[in-house]
Amino acid sequence: MKARTMAGGFAAAAVMTVGVAVGGFGYAAAAPGDFSTLPVDPNLITDSLAYNAAPSVFNPNGRPGVETVYIHRDGSRQITSTILVLPDAQAASAALDGAKAELAGKVANSKTQPAAVGSGGTMLTGMSPDGSKSVTVLSFAEGNTATTLEFDGAAKDPAPSDLVLELGHKQDTAIRDWQAS
Amino acid sequence: MRKIVMALAIAAVMSGSVATSQTAYAAQSSHDTNVYIQPAVPIGPKVQMLDCYGTTGSMGCGPGWVWRDGWRGWGCYPC
Repeated sequence: MKARTMAGGFAAAAVMTVGVAVGGFGYAAAAPGDFSTLPVDPNLITDSLAYNAAPSVFNPNGRPGVETVYIHRDGSRQITSTILVLPDAQAASAALDGAKAELAGKVANSKTQPAAVGSGGTMLTGMSPDGSKSVTVLSFAEGNTATTLEFDGAAKDPAPSDLVLELGHKQDTAIRDWQAS
Repeated sequence: MRKIVMALAIAAVMSGSVATSQTAYAAQSSHDTNVYIQPAVPIGPKVQMLDCYGTTGSMGCGPGWVWRDGWRGWGCYPC
């Protein structure tokens, strides 16, 4: 009887161990190179159902990182989160500069202003080249990561700057938490 | 004698009424006791700002705001 009880206890412990291994503990369980937990869902700062996430693309364009597109349920707005994880802060800063230069050519009538997010944060606002969409891009570096959050909406419905900055701050915090794990 | 008394009485009564009437006229002319009340200015229709749809705002948004599905999902947004 005692042996049977002990066996049952070991079995229960084994099941719990397997459960923990499978379920994980969020950031703490993020393995090196696992970027799935990096993007911050914009529904955290909306009515919680506004955006639907497309499947994340890992290592977009062959660069280490993750890109996730969130589409508003009415289809008129889109948020694209791109987080590149580079070998060091210098590489991240260089990647950020490259991204800014690329955006400058893609956004018409653009205006750039500093943003107090991460390191070297900037917010660029403008229109798509054909004038059909508003475009707002927040870019910043955090340690060895370079992040761009692009907000595309109707021409007369640009993303509010407070929303852009709020999501940027949450994304920056998530990156720092991920780096610390 | 009786006629004299009657004449004096009549004279006294007439002079008193005349004097009293003068006093009354004087009071009326110099001390107007009527208080002039300015008629109240009619208050015009109250102006109440309307939201984009011509109502006072649904879902408690209030004037100048409108309830719609925007960047933050359903919520109150400026018109």
